[in-house]
Amino acid sequence: MFDDTKSTERVMADDDIKITAKGVDVFYDKTHAIKNVDVDIQNRAVTAFIGPSGCGKSTFLRCLNRMNDTIDICRVTGDIHLDGNDIYAKDVDPVQLRARVGMVFQKPNPFPKSIYDNVAYGPKIHGLAKNKAELDEIVEKSLTRAAIWNEVKDRLDAPGTSLSGGQQQRLCIGRAIATAPEVLLMDEPCSALDPIATAQVEELIDELRQDFTVVIVTHSMQQAARVSQKTAFFHLGDLVEYGETDKIFTNPVDPRTESYITGRIG
Amino acid sequence: MNDTNHIASAFDRDLDSIQALIMKMGGLVETAISDASKALELRDTDMAQIVRKNDKLIDALEEEVATEVARVIAMRSPTAGDLRTVLSVLKISGNLERVGDYAKNLAKRTSVLSEMQPVNGTGASIRRMAKLVSVMLKDALDAYIQRDADLAADVRARDTEVDQMYNALFREFLTHMMEDPRNITACMHLHFIAKNIERMGDHVTSISEQVIYLVTGEIPDEDRDKADRTSYVAAPKES
Repeated sequence: MFDDTKSTERVMADDDIKITAKGVDVFYDKTHAIKNVDVDIQNRAVTAFIGPSGCGKSTFLRCLNRMNDTIDICRVTGDIHLDGNDIYAKDVDPVQLRARVGMVFQKPNPFPKSIYDNVAYGPKIHGLAKNKAELDEIVEKSLTRAAIWNEVKDRLDAPGTSLSGGQQQRLCIGRAIATAPEVLLMDEPCSALDPIATAQVEELIDELRQDFTVVIVTHSMQQAARVSQKTAFFHLGDLVEYGETDKIFTNPVDPRTESYITGRIG
Repeated sequence: MNDTNHIASAFDRDLDSIQALIMKMGGLVETAISDASKALELRDTDMAQIVRKNDKLIDALEEEVATEVARVIAMRSPTAGDLRTVLSVLKISGNLERVGDYAKNLAKRTSVLSEMQPVNGTGASIRRMAKLVSVMLKDALDAYIQRDADLAADVRARDTEVDQMYNALFREFLTHMMEDPRNITACMHLHFIAKNIERMGDHVTSISEQVIYLVTGEIPDEDRDKADRTSYVAAPKES
């Protein structure tokens, strides 16, 4: 016991970039919600977006899989590249993009279908399984990765909505990873969960970063500190500070970051 | 660092009260150093006794600081400047407690030394050295209150003078002992006293480094000039 002196690995290779955003602006009608944001999201790491309500962190997250396309008055300008390819290019199908960049929302939102179908739906419509056996395998693998398989394997036909809140959220994460995405966007995934379910989801996020790039929006600064390797602080539509999470939480550069994370009025 | 208040005002009160404990401790330790060195020079055993007794207050304050810091970490999850404040407070209180112990040890040896023949001139030298450390401590605590990293760096640099004084005393004690073996017992005690004051200087240096960490977020590099050369000194050969 106590013979391993290495603490949680935090430092990442800086050159492995999954998503690059340059000069991104977002307008809702006349409201300038995101102002000229540049950010590089690292591959196979967890990046947390923090900031007070209305700072633009969710809006920016939704730019990364073009969820803002669904809002008529919303206009996005600037460049966002996934693996070097412009995701706003004319020939990019947003539906295909969202299979690569999955999303988990604040409130668990299972489809009103069985647990099995919740997970099988995505792979089915994207043609990822040739037959029932393959589909079964994807469902089991996804639910195992989402750390819920053991709890639901005996009742896959039960409706997804019959699960508890924490289980529903893990089901939604399982559903999101069933299409084998490369990036997982999470918009306050634990805000409707109790502390135990929150801890389970955080543990899951930490495991997922072995294979996925995770971007999480959270109101809980402690959660950002616990799960992420990189943290971006947004304030009034500006990206104020972006850097290593441990640096942001021990010695931030910008006084606005310090004011926010220490719980001061600033 | 940040001067504005927390949204949770109880957090501000917690941090303020811990820092007030440190200031109280600092005051007691400054008094202990000056009283102990005065008692040694004046061979005042009553004063030495008071210094020994008051060390209990310093120890109790250190425990109180540790308890409060644990509570703040558990309840408020401090980050950034707040985190550096509680961490530095914990280290500073540890340093102050050690300085208090050295002052107490000085007072203990005073009780023994006052029974012996005084060794010429050494009491005043030791008191000058103690005075220097005491002023450094005062400045380090001022630097803490004012969040003044420059003053802290200045205090840190001044430790060299303490080291040099210790070197000089070390040679002086050797000379006294070689001149007259009857000085040996007293000089051994005096040497421990000088060494302990030199160690006080090191703890004050560590406090200054905590102030620099608190203000800048960086611990200063270990590139300070060390002037304690006594490890290399051998007694002059008898001819």
